[in-house]
Amino acid sequence: MRSLRRVFQVLFIFGFFVLFILTTFPLNSLIPVDLFLRIDPLIAFNTLLASHSFLIKMIPSIIVLVITIFLGRIFCGWICPLGTTIDACDKLPKEKLNKKTEQKKYRFTWIKYAVLIAVLTTALFSGPLAGYIDPIALYTRTVVTVFYPLFSFVVQGIFLLLYKVAFLENFLFKIEEILRGTLLPINPVYFQGSMVFAFLILAIFSTAYLTKRFWCRNLCPLGALLALFSRFRIYRRKVSDECTACQLCYKKCRMRAIKTDYKSTDHLECINCMDCQAVCPVDAVHFGFSSKSEKESFDLNRRRILGAGITGFFTFGLLRIAPVHTVKKGKVIRPPGSWQESAFLDRCIRCGECVRVCSTAGKGLQHAMFESGWEGFATPILLTPMGYCEYNCNLCGQVCPTGAIHPLPLEDKKELKMGTAHFDKTRCIPWYYGEDCLVCEEHCPTPDKAIKFRETHSVTIDGKQTNVMLPYVEELTCIGCGICTTVCPLEGNKGIYLTNTDEVRWEE
Amino acid sequence: MAALSSLNPKAFLALASSSGRPDLVSVNNGDPAELVKNAINALGGMEQFVSKGDQVIIKPNISWDRVPQQAATTNPTVVAEVVKLCFEAGAKNVVIFDNTLNEPRRCYKRSGIQKAAEDAGADVQYIYDRKFKTIRFPEGELIKSWEVYDEVLKADKLINIPAAKHHTVSGVSLGMKNLMGLIGGNRGRFHRNYDIKITDLNARIRPVLTVLDAYRVLLRNGPSGGNIADVELRKTLIAGTDPVAVDAMGASFFNLDPHNLNFLKLAQERGLGKIDISPGKMKKISLTS
Repeated sequence: MRSLRRVFQVLFIFGFFVLFILTTFPLNSLIPVDLFLRIDPLIAFNTLLASHSFLIKMIPSIIVLVITIFLGRIFCGWICPLGTTIDACDKLPKEKLNKKTEQKKYRFTWIKYAVLIAVLTTALFSGPLAGYIDPIALYTRTVVTVFYPLFSFVVQGIFLLLYKVAFLENFLFKIEEILRGTLLPINPVYFQGSMVFAFLILAIFSTAYLTKRFWCRNLCPLGALLALFSRFRIYRRKVSDECTACQLCYKKCRMRAIKTDYKSTDHLECINCMDCQAVCPVDAVHFGFSSKSEKESFDLNRRRILGAGITGFFTFGLLRIAPVHTVKKGKVIRPPGSWQESAFLDRCIRCGECVRVCSTAGKGLQHAMFESGWEGFATPILLTPMGYCEYNCNLCGQVCPTGAIHPLPLEDKKELKMGTAHFDKTRCIPWYYGEDCLVCEEHCPTPDKAIKFRETHSVTIDGKQTNVMLPYVEELTCIGCGICTTVCPLEGNKGIYLTNTDEVRWEE
Repeated sequence: MAALSSLNPKAFLALASSSGRPDLVSVNNGDPAELVKNAINALGGMEQFVSKGDQVIIKPNISWDRVPQQAATTNPTVVAEVVKLCFEAGAKNVVIFDNTLNEPRRCYKRSGIQKAAEDAGADVQYIYDRKFKTIRFPEGELIKSWEVYDEVLKADKLINIPAAKHHTVSGVSLGMKNLMGLIGGNRGRFHRNYDIKITDLNARIRPVLTVLDAYRVLLRNGPSGGNIADVELRKTLIAGTDPVAVDAMGASFFNLDPHNLNFLKLAQERGLGKIDISPGKMKKISLTS
């Protein structure tokens, strides 16, 4: 059974990466590319509370809940890609078990319930905590901004090295052409925030030096939610009388779910990894269905519940006071189809699916740092001039698991106004230097160009009389895609920039 | 380096004019493949331009994420037909690419060029940043050196297949402008003193043949277009060895006098070609269907 679990873990994490790679143009995956986010019950609950509506997209998460009711936290042990990666990291430190310190660490399991309560309280009062610590959202975001860029960096480095071997060149180039736009990015992509997200994931991985699965035991709010649902599980660890109390299973248990009598199990913590069954020298440990009810008490008391709720409420309060009103948000351009700002912040789980798919198109979307305030940290924004919004593309809305970006039909998206471009006359070549340029006009994608010009008599910066085509933005036509800013040939400050003036947000 | 300056431009033109065949052909009233066949045939067949074993680069316009009906990119059938003729003339391989302005996969796909050219046997490649090499432009007036794609430096022959489009700064986007898809760097800077810079580029990179696709012509809101109402079905194709003459003739689609187009005047002054080609060197073919 343990080998079966390992096979499943490998299959699921492989599937996760396959879906990640398929999150690109043309989006033709049979399985929805955001499937892992859609089977996550915490994201479903969070969206339910935040949006006061049930999303059809979230139906797969019900399956996970139903499975959990019968089988316990099999999601944590067999499916969760973060859990699998943590398992791999846990192999790094030398195994040691000091019973005293282990018992101390055991006391922290209640924290994850507090985290869960805090997350759901903030969701209810419209605050955006879930996305930061939900394991699937966190993992997706890390893959987008850290793992994949690193992977492609390394692979491309290997290619460059191999190209030095002359006779391989044609063969290698054929392979590179096939990989380009599939396994390797179509264009090199860089993400702001990669460092921050890398530190976060490293912090989680390095807890391997404290205990195994430290995150899953003590912090993960999804783990806590699934633990709540495993209370009446009927698939359980059972120990027969052959048990010699050798402690092997107790020492091996990555969740510290085996109690000190080695026979009884904490069914809320057990993730069905089957290690105990595999290591038992006398074959006394088995997993099976049992109708005998064995209710487990939560490691929670009223004070902790209340404390967590209050913490959640105040976190929400903190996010809602100063930062919102001290950040100028005029330059925050949201993806096309985004909800009104506060509704958007509630629904967005910061997973980075849209950022990923955009990196294979106009490369415009990036995780915000503090551009839209603290409460907007890691939400997607259109960041020009590094990238722009590709005119014939509506993929961000299609891959958004929570509908924070409404999936717009392509024809609607092309007409949706995300913002407005403005010329900086102290930079723009025709306006400032009195010379023709109009690269922005050339690239403007709307059928009737939003950048127009008037031919006028002018004086160059050094005083020569000239005729010049002076560009201007027809603000009603401009959709705020930002390609003008990206292609503006000026280095440094561009001659044209975006604001969210007259942006249209999604409303039901 | 063959596709570049191995030939002195003036000597090159003299060579072309010495034969009895026309230098410039305009064919109209046919489907895209017929237009190409008849035009190349009138120029003496593809064998005049492509020798056995040549590595050929074909440069269509794949700049934009637009469908062929929007006429912002070269007609895919025209591209495929030129590919076929190159192989029939004995080309070893035909490589096609463009430094696109929208995301490359979308442009290659939506323009229909990737599929059409690959079906005809061409190798359609994406652009790799590492393959741009900075080379000197000895005759350049403003462009003294620039990044050029190294496939161009390696190839034997270059065939330019532009689309006929309106363009605000240059008036028209035809063959000479289309060569901008072979270079890298901050290409937007070409728009400042465009006329001089585009002649600098064309003095350095010299295609053996220019095939101007005017099956559909984008008359307004070029070069990216997007509005079908700006497109006119002309069912015409102009081919020639003299890039200036091809562009000069192409200007007529836009009711422009080529003598008023600065980049053509400059190009003629610098000996890159002639705006007015002698009637004996020009042939007009009208196909009847």
